Amino acid sequence: MAEMTARRISLPANRRILTEEERRPVSTDRLNGEQIARRQTTYWREAWHRLRKNPIAMAALVLLVLLLFMILLGPALSGQDYVNINAKEKNRAPDAVHWFGTDTLGRDLFSRVCVGSRLSLLVALVCSGIQILIGCAYGGAMAYFGGRVDSVMMRILEILNSFPYLLVTLLIMMVLGSNITGLLVAMCVTSWVGTARQMRGQIMQLRESEYVKAANMMGASPVRVIVRHLLPNTISILILDLCSSIPDYIFTEASLSFLGMGLSGDVISLGVLISAGKTKMDFYPWQLLCPVAVLVIAVLAFNMLGDGLRDALDPRTR
Amino acid sequence: MNVAKYLLKRFAVMVLTLYIIATATFFLLALTPGDALSQRVERLPDKVAERLYARYGLDRPVMERYWITMKGLLRGDFGESIIYEGETVQSIIREKGPVSARLGIQQMLLGVTLGLLLGILAAVGKGNVWDYLVVCISILLISVPNLIFALLLQQVFAGKLHWFPVIGWPAEGGWFSGWEYTVLPTLAGCFGYIASYARLLKAAMLDVMGQDYILTAESKGLSHKEVILHHVLRNSFIPIITRLPMSVAMCITGSFFVESVFSIPGLGLYYVNAVAAKDVTIVMGETVIIAAIYIFVIFLTDILYTVVDPRIRISGGKR
Repeated sequence: MAEMTARRISLPANRRILTEEERRPVSTDRLNGEQIARRQTTYWREAWHRLRKNPIAMAALVLLVLLLFMILLGPALSGQDYVNINAKEKNRAPDAVHWFGTDTLGRDLFSRVCVGSRLSLLVALVCSGIQILIGCAYGGAMAYFGGRVDSVMMRILEILNSFPYLLVTLLIMMVLGSNITGLLVAMCVTSWVGTARQMRGQIMQLRESEYVKAANMMGASPVRVIVRHLLPNTISILILDLCSSIPDYIFTEASLSFLGMGLSGDVISLGVLISAGKTKMDFYPWQLLCPVAVLVIAVLAFNMLGDGLRDALDPRTR
Repeated sequence: MNVAKYLLKRFAVMVLTLYIIATATFFLLALTPGDALSQRVERLPDKVAERLYARYGLDRPVMERYWITMKGLLRGDFGESIIYEGETVQSIIREKGPVSARLGIQQMLLGVTLGLLLGILAAVGKGNVWDYLVVCISILLISVPNLIFALLLQQVFAGKLHWFPVIGWPAEGGWFSGWEYTVLPTLAGCFGYIASYARLLKAAMLDVMGQDYILTAESKGLSHKEVILHHVLRNSFIPIITRLPMSVAMCITGSFFVESVFSIPGLGLYYVNAVAAKDVTIVMGETVIIAAIYIFVIFLTDILYTVVDPRIRISGGKR
């Protein structure tokens, strides 16, 4: 309000006799010095705002949405069945009917890639979920109990951490067999260690922070401290964790299938498609390149989004 | 005194860890349905089959076998391969180890060097074209599995252009023979190092560049080049040096895929084949040895931290 008046006086073009109302000094109560003029924002709204200004992250987000759309609705759009064997249309190159061509049995590759991606993504999501659940519970317990319990649990983590990841995965796949349960167990068995460590560190750090102490001192209930202070500050870490673990799981699944230790049988995943395409690489390269392209795009999108989120979710980078 | 106590404690934990890994591996293998012999003995008379089982001790109860295996491990005796007669874990490592080592060393030399150069480029030119280029390259390299790189390189440079052999590895003689076989596998494996080291060094350098002593150095009137070379680079090498041992350990398991694409007779490929064939003794032996290397490297990394970074001191055994 004060600014408006000042500008009006300084503008000669707008010269006129000021009214009594305008000439009176601005009263202090009208200034509302205590009121925050800027629209109040929450942490999440602000993070979203920062993310929106990052072109790479937004491109990744759009890419992910498009990819999801393709994976879920692709087969319906192209109108091709993914199991239908067609002896007359073996090893077709990509064309208007078969967008990614056909495989050695004449099955439409586009539909197969879509269906395979669904499974790969689902496995990655489930594994990430398990990883975060176990990691949070374990890390939270370490930070909560502290002392002796904490150091014993830490030793266990250290031991688990020194298992070579790929060896454990291969061994467990060997024991449980090449099925989805085996794959889930094998991929999750040591992967949550990092999450647990991060959660422990974060929670311990938060508990010592001034605002949590202040909240405690002002008589906030533990529930309120957890919901208002601990959770929002750990969720950003978990989101980042999710963004980096999903591509890792997609990778690992594909690699295991490639080594012949992953899923087998009638199940289709990106890894299964890639290892099937590998054998036909010399003659029908698209059978390898199409699933590979989808895998790379998905992983790329997650990585770029994760990079953007890292900046957006960190309030210190403002 | 304190340091000696700490080292001793860490060593005890290492031995315990190795013991747990060996035990876990043993029972996982014992749980595995089917064994390597069942196919071999299918057409043999029962008497011979029994003798074969007895020879590898597979006829005994699990706990007894566990006991024998553990005693063997203490003496460094891992047992004989079930699939390949006469081969032991030692003979396999003597034979396949150098192959994997050569591949890994070449990959790391190329990848780490290029990665560090790119990292310096990105950090020095923060915000300019080089920076963006390096960021793009490293995200791209991280997003494409080295398995895919291996397949594509093989397809293009060996399959289409015939510049290099499609598969294989120089059979005998020296570390420098048959380089044409090693070019593609080396390239395929080095991209991961390029990306991770470029990112690591860039982050570390930016971190150091924000420190007060860099401001001091600049206000003393040192040239930009001098500040970067003597003050920034030197101090940002701490995370690099402590990362290196882990890379060495990872390149043993990391080359599974490259070895399998190019049919390189290294440890990785052999391990995968042993797992697929359920060759229990070899899997057991290789797992223990790889895990031992891995654990030792983690230990080494912790020690290196205290050596390289004077701000970190060993105290009371807690990290």
